[in-house]
Amino acid sequence: MLLASVGVLLLLVTLVVGVCFGNVSIAPADTLVILGHRLFGWPAAVTWPQSSEIIVLELRLPRVLTAMAVGTALSLAGAVYQGLLRNPLADPYVLGTARGAALGAAIAVLLPVQVALLGLGLIEVFAFVGALLAVTVVYRASRLGAFSSLTSVLLTGYAVGSLLAAGLAMTMYLSGDNLRQIFNYLLGSFALASWPQFAVSLLIIAVGSLLMGSRTRSLNALLLGEEAAAHLGIDVRRDRLILLTGATLVTAASVAVSGLIGFVGLVVPHLVRLVVGPNARLLLPLAAVYGAVFLGLADLIARIPGELPVGVVTAIFGAPFFLYLLRHYRTGYAL
Amino acid sequence: MKSLNSRQSLAALGLSLLFASACTTGGGTTPAPTWSDHPATPASTLTPARTLTPTPVATEPQPAFPRTVIDDEGTSVEIASEPRRIVSLTPAATEIVFELGAGEHMVGGTDSDNYPPEAAALPDVVQGVTVLTEQVVDLEPDLVLAGGNNFTPPAEVQRLRDLGIAVLVVYPETVDQVTDDITLVGTAIGRDQSAADIVGAMSARIDGVVDAVEGLAQPRTFYEIGYGPDIYGPAPDSFIEDMVNLAGGDAIVTDDPAVFSIPLEQLVSRDPEVIVLGDAAYGTCPDGVATRPGWSRMSAVVKRRVWPVDDTIVTRPGPRLGEGLAALALAIHPDAAIDPPATGGQYCTE
Amino acid sequence: MSGAELELRGISVDYGARRVLDGIDLHLAPGELACLLGPNGAGKSTLLRAISGAVRPATGTVLIDGVPLDEYERPALARRLAVVPGQTVVAFPMRVDELVALGRVPHEHPLLGPQAVDRTAIDHAIERIGIGHLRHRDVRELSLGERQLAVLAMTIAQGAQLLLLDEPTVHLDLRHQVDTMELLRDLATRDSVTVLAVLHDVGLASHFFPRLLLLDDGRLIADGEPRAVLTPERLRQVYGVDPRFVTVAGSPVKPA
Repeated sequence: MLLASVGVLLLLVTLVVGVCFGNVSIAPADTLVILGHRLFGWPAAVTWPQSSEIIVLELRLPRVLTAMAVGTALSLAGAVYQGLLRNPLADPYVLGTARGAALGAAIAVLLPVQVALLGLGLIEVFAFVGALLAVTVVYRASRLGAFSSLTSVLLTGYAVGSLLAAGLAMTMYLSGDNLRQIFNYLLGSFALASWPQFAVSLLIIAVGSLLMGSRTRSLNALLLGEEAAAHLGIDVRRDRLILLTGATLVTAASVAVSGLIGFVGLVVPHLVRLVVGPNARLLLPLAAVYGAVFLGLADLIARIPGELPVGVVTAIFGAPFFLYLLRHYRTGYAL
Repeated sequence: MKSLNSRQSLAALGLSLLFASACTTGGGTTPAPTWSDHPATPASTLTPARTLTPTPVATEPQPAFPRTVIDDEGTSVEIASEPRRIVSLTPAATEIVFELGAGEHMVGGTDSDNYPPEAAALPDVVQGVTVLTEQVVDLEPDLVLAGGNNFTPPAEVQRLRDLGIAVLVVYPETVDQVTDDITLVGTAIGRDQSAADIVGAMSARIDGVVDAVEGLAQPRTFYEIGYGPDIYGPAPDSFIEDMVNLAGGDAIVTDDPAVFSIPLEQLVSRDPEVIVLGDAAYGTCPDGVATRPGWSRMSAVVKRRVWPVDDTIVTRPGPRLGEGLAALALAIHPDAAIDPPATGGQYCTE
Repeated sequence: MSGAELELRGISVDYGARRVLDGIDLHLAPGELACLLGPNGAGKSTLLRAISGAVRPATGTVLIDGVPLDEYERPALARRLAVVPGQTVVAFPMRVDELVALGRVPHEHPLLGPQAVDRTAIDHAIERIGIGHLRHRDVRELSLGERQLAVLAMTIAQGAQLLLLDEPTVHLDLRHQVDTMELLRDLATRDSVTVLAVLHDVGLASHFFPRLLLLDDGRLIADGEPRAVLTPERLRQVYGVDPRFVTVAGSPVKPA
């Protein structure tokens, strides 16, 4: 499919461009040779300074890859939540993941303990756990076990989110001086990306994505609602849980490594849907690819002038593009 | 009803967790990771008369490089050879390095470096609170001086260390730790004698100030860090409180080590007799203070004991601290026998 | 395609403490066209939901082609039974052919998706219902009647041999009501699909359906031809109205 091949091409372009540019200028030719030489064993004479190698391989490469992985994760999660909740305004944080992660991070900062495991500190682990716990609470509290009104799920998510936000405000008040650390973390950034973090998050994102990808048929059936999906032979309870678990895992992993980045999970699925329609078999893979491209490029733009919060960049560039697409693209789809 | 209970119990759990963590951190100085207090050099102690005994330089002669020093977090940092490419992540560290005479070896600093003037010309690797890691790596430093207590994000420090760069975290919490840190940095960059000289001079200056205000009545002193939207002042057990008390004042502090704002009512009830404007460099002057609603009845305002100071010498834990203490002491006791500060900006002089 | 046989034995359904269906016995032969009638709250929708498995009966068994409902695997059941709800709401823009394609969900491979046989079935269904001209239109832009037809096409793509419809004509204008009824009759007679529809409109029901099932207060109180079921006393008893009958030439009894 044309879109798929273009997407993969863009992935490669994003990766290369992302590694070639940064705060410090390194000749793109050097960058490519460094990559080729160290990663693929191409023979080359080492003409570049050690620092360039460190910057390319230890700073930029894991950062670009992490941004792309998170872009994939958030786009997939957004698509799934939108489908599960049949709500075009759903994003990965709608069931309280963001607030749960934030509270987890804040508690981690408050605790007088310093641990680091595989490049993941207490803050990342607590954020991850907080995100999972928040969704679990929403799930149980809204009695998602039986066929239940989607409104009740959304409202429960809102209520639990508000409770968590209050907890967060309290924790931030108590943390005083460390407020800055919490804010920095929450604002969303890939500045601290590293290989161990990337590896762990990639693993979780891969697992979650597989879970979601295995249920594309159910997602399609759910377009007509849960009862209709059941009548089409879908085990709604089971598949809903699988989809929810997958979406929450990838979101929690994303928030854990990079804080809260908005807009991606909401908009990328819509952008893709505008072009290919709601069929999950097309929507999910393409959202995964284009989400990676989107966030990879957004992070690049964020880091060139200094260090802008990447969430600001995604909004500034995503919104006008989205509006343009809404106005000019016609295939018989109207949002 | 079942769902309500599970949510309630989860909320209760969450809140009790919050309270538990608050209780464990409320007593300490910093809620964040605990630091070990002193580097390897012998510590000075404060006598009841609050005189600093000069810190004797370590009598065991330090070998030539390689050296191992222990930073303010207790981390052992190995420095292979005398650093020739030093990067500083805090303005105080920049000042220290320059004062030690190693300014020529500095290759990177922060965007807040303003003293000495040459420091401002250094490439900035810190913008605001963000460390530009790529820039740091590109400069190929052999020593990085980082700030503690989240001034430099701990994750950033760890990352630089993971990349094989020697990073020293310098974080003085009290005035006497500042001299210890000057010694630490001096040891790290191979300027032991310069460090000893500076520390000696600083200690003498500090002792001179402390002696000059000894026995004088200690007025209630409020050091204003900032104004608007809240009133910002020193927290208990903070560096600034230490400075004010050394300068012969009775420091007015906030309620909690983690809180930096003080409600107006509380300030009014404490009734400061002296107000020191640490925000003078940012436009706050004594005339403005008198016009603030609710401030006009404070003793300090009535008796016109509101003084501007250059906060970079008073609060920056660097080599100019002795002068900063002098400035602070003169604001509190204008008639004390203290030489005016030899450095620092003059504000509100119209 | 031969129709499915439907049998209910002693079905009772409770909502909490309230018994909304009480001891329903019913038998539909393959290809039968039957209509479920009754006043509001009689339990018509509940009966449909008990048959489709959306609701678990307190007592009794539902058998489709002689096999009890809970012995069916979900996809197998979906290949046999389809439900047309009164209203279909779609949250995202979706083309008609994509909607019809959803009927293949119980047939298609979970990961590989629709194959040639599925695409053929979809095309056939669209043809059968006669909505080829609507193929690429957005479902949300269609009129309610057209949307209903699209859903019907979906059930045909689904290959359903038993079709349950819950108030399919409530929001439709007259022409679409008639179209839908004629389509159902066509499906029953030509394709032998067993059809059980809940209707509100007694007149429409008696005109198009050779068999009426009258439900009142959870009980099946009449089952048979319209003439036999819709007697004046019964209508008075169940609906509380005093009917006048008008016979239209060539059609069964049509109460006024």
